[in-house]
Amino acid sequence: MNTEQGATVRVTRRFTATAERVFDAWLDSGKAGKWLFSTASGQMVRVEIDARVGGSFTFVDRREGQDIEHVGEYLEIDRPRRLVFEFAVPKFSPQRTRVTIDISPLAAGCELVLTHEGVQPDYASRTEGGWGRILDSLAVTLA
Amino acid sequence: MNDKIAENLPRTPASLDRTLVALADPTRRAILQRLSKGEARVTELAQPFAISLNSVSKHIRMLESARLVRRRRVWREHLLSINPKPLDEAATWIEVQRAVWAARLDALDEMLQAEDRAASIAPKRKGRSR
Repeated sequence: MNTEQGATVRVTRRFTATAERVFDAWLDSGKAGKWLFSTASGQMVRVEIDARVGGSFTFVDRREGQDIEHVGEYLEIDRPRRLVFEFAVPKFSPQRTRVTIDISPLAAGCELVLTHEGVQPDYASRTEGGWGRILDSLAVTLA
Repeated sequence: MNDKIAENLPRTPASLDRTLVALADPTRRAILQRLSKGEARVTELAQPFAISLNSVSKHIRMLESARLVRRRRVWREHLLSINPKPLDEAATWIEVQRAVWAARLDALDEMLQAEDRAASIAPKRKGRSR
């Protein structure tokens, strides 16, 4: 992966749930399909997760009749503190980008820091995944 | 999606690409830092760096082609200044990427809270809901 080209995006968020529950939600196919790489307007039709270091994953979200695949591989799995994986959306770009999740337990709940490296400008995915997603979530917030 | 918003998006990923590549180098970022304080000559820009004037010039040319730096000539002097527009564009784009993840993490939190509600409504019917 070439992280030289592209940006690093970092997001921090607190959860009331324990670090273990938040961590597991990334690797449990029944749970991850409900929120990760999914869109409110799309339908998650397939989630395959091989939760081992070197194991791969596939998420298929059907958006307006088009199947959008997110495919990747787990690089580090250290429950419940750290998860590192790479992924690509082959439909838009063969470029893999790396996501690192660091979770720290708090007195109540936990804090998650997400770092996404090598993010490339990609107009297609930005339109379909990005803005659609943001508008969806705004709609939920405003509803 | 809303077409009005789509119109206002930066249209050309190629220009964003150039901006991000230009910003990926620490020397080029330092040059921009210096220019953010005001116009400067090439020789002034080269001064703090332990590299040749030639290689600083190369960095400057790359910043120019990414339109992050503008050059104007006063007699025989070349004065360089920063053009913040591509920076704004890149910042907006990064903000969008952050918002994508923030929305996903919101959805994760929502799912976990829904699990909690389901567990408190029907605590004895089943084990932990999946």
